Amino acid sequence: MLSIAEIWQWLFDVTNWEGRYGLVNLFFEHMTLSFSAILIAALIAVPIGVAIGHLGKGEAVVVAISSISRAIPTMGLLFALVMFMGIEFRGFAVTLALVIIAIPPILAGSYAGIKAIPQTISQAAKAQGMTAQQLIWHVELPLSAASIIGGVRIAYIQVVSTVVLAPLIGLGGLGFGIIQGLALRDFAQVTSSALIIVFITILGDRLIGFAQKLTAVKLAAVEIDR
Amino acid sequence: MKKMTKSSIALSAVAILGLAGCADAGSETIVIGSQAYYSNEIVAEAYALVLEDAGFQVERQFSLGQRDVYVPAIVAGEVDLFPEYSGNLLQYFNPEASETSAEDVYNALVAALPAGLTALTLSGASDQDSYNVTKEFATENNLVSIGDLAALANVTLGGPPELTGRPYGPQGLLTTYGVTVAFEATGETTVESLVAGLIDMANVYSADPRIQQLGLVTLKDPQGLFLASNLVPIASGAVNADARALINAISLAMSAEDLVAMNVRSVEEQLSAAVIARDWLVSKGLLN
Repeated sequence: MLSIAEIWQWLFDVTNWEGRYGLVNLFFEHMTLSFSAILIAALIAVPIGVAIGHLGKGEAVVVAISSISRAIPTMGLLFALVMFMGIEFRGFAVTLALVIIAIPPILAGSYAGIKAIPQTISQAAKAQGMTAQQLIWHVELPLSAASIIGGVRIAYIQVVSTVVLAPLIGLGGLGFGIIQGLALRDFAQVTSSALIIVFITILGDRLIGFAQKLTAVKLAAVEIDR
Repeated sequence: MKKMTKSSIALSAVAILGLAGCADAGSETIVIGSQAYYSNEIVAEAYALVLEDAGFQVERQFSLGQRDVYVPAIVAGEVDLFPEYSGNLLQYFNPEASETSAEDVYNALVAALPAGLTALTLSGASDQDSYNVTKEFATENNLVSIGDLAALANVTLGGPPELTGRPYGPQGLLTTYGVTVAFEATGETTVESLVAGLIDMANVYSADPRIQQLGLVTLKDPQGLFLASNLVPIASGAVNADARALINAISLAMSAEDLVAMNVRSVEEQLSAAVIARDWLVSKGLLN
């Protein structure tokens, strides 16, 4: 049976951290893939979500997209995109697959954030003579920031755990240790790699949760004012 | 707590029934397993067809996943007959095994098998790791055997992630042939990566139809870097002497070319394992 001592031994072995498939390199690959996908998804989903929430039109689209996303088999999507685009563009294909996964929660978070703003606030802003642009930038976005970040938080968890599949199609990332370790029956490697993935997932979740709290304070202040 | 007791009673009842079922079936039915690998399933189907033809009761338990999943089932006696690959199975039981020739591997496997399991006749058909390059790359650099790579610089080897940990991986290439390679873990997309030029050399199973379809060149391995992995039926005590003789006849009749040809049919014509196995058995006169 695998003991904790074996996991420690594996984790403290410098050779497992160095080189092309060392933990350091794999970690950066994992994070680069994750963050670029989340960034692209946010650039697409936040404006659309905010627009839908602001205009009150197209809510059905948000609901449809977030329900469809639950039915997408991630691994199938990943393989299909790589085969469709060609192996030369696997980096692009993986990023696209991750963006598709990340869009729905961010979209839903943005839309819900705007939608949750009490109508009295937006009406008061309009009564002050704010233009639509001012209303979005100075009232709606600050008030829905926590909800948008909440969407990013869910997207982060999904994306970081999906990047684990990237080694199947020849890319790196921390899933490498799991896939290699399973085949080699090196369970210290599998467990260590899995623990690192769990660690960065929880750490990222907490950090984004912290940002969410920081931005949510504003909403509370507004509500007290009211 | 009450619920748990109930369900555990139910569970043990099921287990007892299951065990009773096994003991009963053991005397009559031969359970044939296969990997979740189309080529392996064709061979298992050939076993099943021949045994059925001879009047044996057969139960097909195909697509049992990978070795980690099904070997415990064979050892536990849930599966009686399984087409296996000598080298890879030896490596499973003894990761440190250093034998590479077909005969040495077979003898080592016989010694390594747990009590109650028998390796039947070794087949000439093999499905083992091999290093492949594109035809252009081979002609350009006059490559015939793996050792010819020593003259080249900047060769990139692609294969599954675990290749770095295998004795025939980059480390073995260096010690056996003096060939230095960079490694790319191309995983499931190894052949595609080779064709696209992302890697120079690919680790592909020798019976993979794509070697033939894409005209890849398999580099010769005169020093025995790879451990031979021939088809070998693994049988439990439930497979009697008559049944063993029938299965051994299949092992002897099947050549490496036959196995590749059947794989090609599976991939190109999309035929079922049963059709391919039956056609092959008929062509060899093992079935009417």
